[in-house]
Amino acid sequence: MDFTALSLTIRLAAQSTLLLLLLTMPLAAWLAAGTGITRRVVQAAVALPMVLPPTVLGFYLLTGLGPATAFGRAIIVLLGHPLAFTFPGIVFGSMLYSLPFAVQPLTAAFDAVPHALTDTARVLGASPFTVFRRVTLPLAKSGILTAAVLTFAHTVGEFGVVLMLGGDIPGKTQTLSVSIYDKVQEGNYAAANTMSLWLLAASFLALLAVYLRSDVLRRRPKLG
Amino acid sequence: MAETLPIHHSIRVRADLSDLSLDVTLELRSPWTVLFGPSGSGKSSLLRALGGLMPKAAVRFQRGTTELSALPPQRRALSYAPQSPSLFPHMSVMQNVRFSMEAHGNPPRKSTLADDAASIFRLHALRDRRPQELSGGEQKRVSLARAYAQPGAALLLLDEPFAGFDRGLRNELLPELLSGLSKRQLPVLSVTHDVDEAVLLNADVVRIESGKVIAQGPALEVLALEREQMLTSLGQPGA
Repeated sequence: MDFTALSLTIRLAAQSTLLLLLLTMPLAAWLAAGTGITRRVVQAAVALPMVLPPTVLGFYLLTGLGPATAFGRAIIVLLGHPLAFTFPGIVFGSMLYSLPFAVQPLTAAFDAVPHALTDTARVLGASPFTVFRRVTLPLAKSGILTAAVLTFAHTVGEFGVVLMLGGDIPGKTQTLSVSIYDKVQEGNYAAANTMSLWLLAASFLALLAVYLRSDVLRRRPKLG
Repeated sequence: MAETLPIHHSIRVRADLSDLSLDVTLELRSPWTVLFGPSGSGKSSLLRALGGLMPKAAVRFQRGTTELSALPPQRRALSYAPQSPSLFPHMSVMQNVRFSMEAHGNPPRKSTLADDAASIFRLHALRDRRPQELSGGEQKRVSLARAYAQPGAALLLLDEPFAGFDRGLRNELLPELLSGLSKRQLPVLSVTHDVDEAVLLNADVVRIESGKVIAQGPALEVLALEREQMLTSLGQPGA
């Protein structure tokens, strides 16, 4: 087992998940708050990483974050070095790659909070932020948990973006999935097999937890 | 009406709803004003528009000299109990009742308003229960107590407050409610189908049909015909 790659993968997934949830919550709340073409355009853009080949995303990130663009140069000035081939770089790439896996469950969860509750809370004197904090957020708790598990699992499973943007630097940007690829290239099938089995089992357990939880929620009495 | 309101409320609401065009002008001049009319006449929509929950409605809503229409719902100094209780399912009964006070930043234990509300609506035995564990009538009482315990309210909007209420209980708690409202000089605008209720409340009745006001006056005058029909049917059971 490549424990360096394992701990790096867990760190990558944890940081990406945490940052992504915090940053996308306002976006999901906005998406759930209404209808209209603007929202649907944003929603489609957010879903793009689900259908794009990760290499496409990785390619654009690699070139977009490099010194050839103004954005890339700004980052180089700010950080003192480019984002590509660094750990923060693959965190950034992972966040984009897992974006739909956070935003979609969050949007669905916020959308499921009855408007009658949030409307009443407003007239009772609560500001939109208070309503979000006291009513929407607690009622969307299980959707937030689902978003976290899916984002984490999906980030653990990424390959293309990390390879394109991070290169394959052990201890810095080499995740489990990349390490497996390396082992296969080296002909070390036994090592690749061990790591693959662990990944398979962990991913299956994560998904099982999400579905078991939705079973529990379905059996709970409906909100009045 | 012997009593007059401390603050003058003047309301004008125009809204084109999918099935009705609402055009209502009225003055609140009594401690309790009742909107009376058939279902679908626009009564509930009127309350929602006043609360600021219908962004497309043109509302002119003036209290004293303050124009409220431009303000967001939370700054209109209103309180609201919708027709369905709409309790917060993740909070206990008392947490629901205290919601408004906490939203205003009042420390929950400092004020007695929530306790008064719980006592008026007979909630003490239910304090720590969750809404899902309550009957429909109990949920309705929590919803009314929550509206009553809005510390900044200058007008209470109650949509069919006593629907699904046990009549005995309603008659028992009504004097306490009315005296509490009068102490706080807090007027009520409510919706009802119930003639008896309007008379019992000694309310100023605004009669609405198809989105328009067709009469306004004391319950005994405006609802004279309905009351007579009701009394007749009571006097001649089975007739």
